[in-house]
Amino acid sequence: MLLTTVVFLPLLCALILVFWPQSKTLRFAALGFSIVEFIVSLTILTNFDKGTAQLQMVEKHLWIERFGISYHLGIDGISLWLVLLTTFLTPIVILGAWNGIQDRVKGFHISIFFLQFAMIGTFLALDAIFFYVFWELSLIPMYFMIGIWGGARRIYATIKFFIFTMSGSVLMLLAMIYMMFLVQESTGTMSANILDFYKLNVPFVAGTFFSLQTLLFFAFALAFAIKVPIFPLHTWLPDAHVEAPTPGSVILAGVMLKMGTYSFLRWVLPLFPEASEYWAWLFLLLGVVGIIYGALVAMVQPDVKKLVAYSSVSHMGYIMLGMFSFNIFGVSGSLFQMLNHGISTGALFLLIGMIYERTHTREIVKYGGLAGRLPLFTIFFFIMTLSSIAVPLTNGFIGEFLILLGAYKANPVLAGFAVSGVVFGAVYMLWMFKKVFFGPEGEVLKDVHHPVKDLSKREIAVLVPLVILVFWMGIFPNHFMDYSKSSLDYLVKNMKQYELTVHDPKAPGALQAGVQR
Amino acid sequence: MKLVFPGIADLIHISPLIALFLCSLIPITIKIFRGNKEQPAVATLIQGLIGIAISLALLLVFGGTGQTAFADNLIFDGLTYWSGFIALSAAALSLFLMYENPSTTGDQFSELTFLTLNSALGMLILTSATDLLIIFIGLELMSLSLYLMIGMSHEEKLSKEAAFKYFILGSFASAIFLYGTAFIFGTAKTTNILAIMEQSPDLMETHKLYLFGIVLIMLGYCFKVSLAPFHAWTPDVYQGAPTPISAYMATAIKCVSFTSFLRVVLTGSVISSVHLFDILQWIAVITMLVGNTAAIIQGNLKRMLAYSSIAHSGYILIGVIAAGVSQEPSFASTGVLYYLLSYSLMTLGAFAMVALMERSENEIVNIDDLAGFSKRHPILALCFTIFLLSLAGIPPTVGFFGKFYVFSSAIAEGLIWLTVWGVINSVISVYYYLRPIVVMYMKDGDSVVATHSLHATKGTIVATAILIIILGLTSGALFELVQNTL
Repeated sequence: MLLTTVVFLPLLCALILVFWPQSKTLRFAALGFSIVEFIVSLTILTNFDKGTAQLQMVEKHLWIERFGISYHLGIDGISLWLVLLTTFLTPIVILGAWNGIQDRVKGFHISIFFLQFAMIGTFLALDAIFFYVFWELSLIPMYFMIGIWGGARRIYATIKFFIFTMSGSVLMLLAMIYMMFLVQESTGTMSANILDFYKLNVPFVAGTFFSLQTLLFFAFALAFAIKVPIFPLHTWLPDAHVEAPTPGSVILAGVMLKMGTYSFLRWVLPLFPEASEYWAWLFLLLGVVGIIYGALVAMVQPDVKKLVAYSSVSHMGYIMLGMFSFNIFGVSGSLFQMLNHGISTGALFLLIGMIYERTHTREIVKYGGLAGRLPLFTIFFFIMTLSSIAVPLTNGFIGEFLILLGAYKANPVLAGFAVSGVVFGAVYMLWMFKKVFFGPEGEVLKDVHHPVKDLSKREIAVLVPLVILVFWMGIFPNHFMDYSKSSLDYLVKNMKQYELTVHDPKAPGALQAGVQR
Repeated sequence: MKLVFPGIADLIHISPLIALFLCSLIPITIKIFRGNKEQPAVATLIQGLIGIAISLALLLVFGGTGQTAFADNLIFDGLTYWSGFIALSAAALSLFLMYENPSTTGDQFSELTFLTLNSALGMLILTSATDLLIIFIGLELMSLSLYLMIGMSHEEKLSKEAAFKYFILGSFASAIFLYGTAFIFGTAKTTNILAIMEQSPDLMETHKLYLFGIVLIMLGYCFKVSLAPFHAWTPDVYQGAPTPISAYMATAIKCVSFTSFLRVVLTGSVISSVHLFDILQWIAVITMLVGNTAAIIQGNLKRMLAYSSIAHSGYILIGVIAAGVSQEPSFASTGVLYYLLSYSLMTLGAFAMVALMERSENEIVNIDDLAGFSKRHPILALCFTIFLLSLAGIPPTVGFFGKFYVFSSAIAEGLIWLTVWGVINSVISVYYYLRPIVVMYMKDGDSVVATHSLHATKGTIVATAILIIILGLTSGALFELVQNTL
């Protein structure tokens, strides 16, 4: 029941908020609900068995019997941290939006909870159609969030966001239906259960695009690649990020992009191992191109939010690079980097939102010399910059190092190019940092009528948990990686005959069962 | 040919039809006795609803058994049962809308109720008919009533044009249908679909004229369900007709015509002719493309919904084709019926929203008029959003599951390319379905609903919105329920 609670509690919160009176207490209620949800989700950790790669806390009820579609939730080392990241970021986002969102406050909080519901569902669903429902459902609240509370070009950005994502996912739906029929062919009954999908052996022919496994692989990969986004499909992301309100950007960068990369690990690699391996060069290449392209474009951005948005493209390139190197370093690095990116980019968006609330501009040239007036803000921004450029002792270092290690083992040439991305990353972040915080005082500071104040207590409370995590994850990465180690090990070693079962904690020897296979 | 006299069993079978006809007479008879003065509109409404309710109850009790009546000319199987159910429900909801709409309420409401019930009667005949001539009678009874209903609008210009256009083109389509029937009678020596079904594959090979007849009959259907390139009347007629009647046409007519179309397709004609199979596939693709791309540029909400309804005909045709080539057609047919149900629900809701905005019979509702709607009427805006998302096929609404079932049945038959066209089109459609939502939620304005009492319309909207979610979540049970009756 725990996973059901974690998924549906936000929906319940959203429903309660619908009937909550429109008053000052609304924000407190929302914050309270999100903290309760976080605490509930933390209890997953205590019940989680680190030693197994199998699915835990599984709940399954038939939903549409004729098609073998079920209500099917389960968790393993891959989805665990992404769920916790979602529940962790939500209270932060709500607290961060305390002053920023003044219009339609109730609708905003309902959207946040609805979004949280859909995202957690996506991470936990183990049934193709059930997963698809959550996947599409998550578009709607984000669509409203960008469209209602966004900036000047919000309508263009939000429609682009919706249509891009939707156009990828419909082909995935067809592929899912096709696979359901494949299951029917091999076992006699139709099923959308991912565990049955894993058992399928989809025929693969190398050297042609028109082999069954390749086609299905690309139908799935396209949907996820748009969400990630991988290089040529990324154009919706800068628009969406720039136009979205701060909380929207944080959730978008922090969690929604991870839905794409997570789904690669859950759906693409294990389901279509031969095709993934055969086409890995394409994704490695696009990953590296994304790293360098994102960094170069970020360098010339006049708008600080757009700079961070392009840095996201670059960081997501790393994650793809690590994942498609198919070794334990690369894959665990990419999972770790998913969390890092959620924390550091999320924090950067929050910080940019805070300074935007004060100055109503995001142009780098108008800032300058902020360090003298806003010491606290500068410190927090500096820590997050370090995390973003992967300085040792911060979380970013662990992720990028592991990814580069893995990539080097898989393809030394591409790894060489990817390393240059690390340098570029330092260049654009530090340039930006220099221009914003040092040098002569800029336009916004000279405006004597609107003196810029340093961080308030609320804002510090928003940022401190993120800073703690940056160092915690940077210094003790094993506290986090231990939980996902078994699952990732199992994935890397058994990709060709990946099969998951439901973990039974009472069975003897269950602890080792997953790893030994 | 053996002559069979109708027995009591036949009368029991057609009791829904008889009830509908008798009840339709009540309001106009009362009007005559009152010296040609209208009774209160509420009374007329209630009489009409009672008629539909009795008919529906009789259909639910006696229908769905798979038995035939009147020497195999009418059949009361699952298809009749469910499409009759959808058509009668749509008629009832449309009647609600007519009661409150400025262009239909007032001094001719009892005639309108009479005509509504009679067109519903035609629909019941159409869905249950298994003889091409009986189908024709059903089609005509349904259409003739509708020509009048469209023309009876209080609005002076567009509705008359619409009625005339629909009448002229509809007559052509009927003539083509009859022409096709003649060819079939000439080659197969019968006009009964059940009889044709057994000999259809042979006839395809021996008689080219038989294929000709089948094609002409299908053209007649293509007109009725507005498949491209026979769709041109749809936007004009839907726009010109009073909104409640557009809603009625878009849902009930499409539903029963598709059911009857399905019966003809299930004769095995499609599976035995590759050419026909190809043509139908292309018609489906072109219909979806035409409907969706044309809808993008519409500013008028009703015209947009009209083009969207054309596009949905294309999706439904995918299911019909799948049923036509399937060894086990009940699977695909169920998909089609579920799609029709879902489509009827969301389209009715969307047209009810248009009706809500009409302050007078001459009012034209544009998408831009919705600006600021969500601030003034949050619940109605939410309902409209649900309708549009469902039309676009976003889960977990009925619209999504309708598409899911139809595409599944097509994939089961290996029609992959057709489904790829289908999903590409549903992405295109997202663009225009999102536009009213954008205007409602993201633009400021002073949008208002009509000032007169609109409780029935609002009730219809809220009820359909709730049903869209509930029937979406319970779609599996519903699917099995339907499939078991087929």
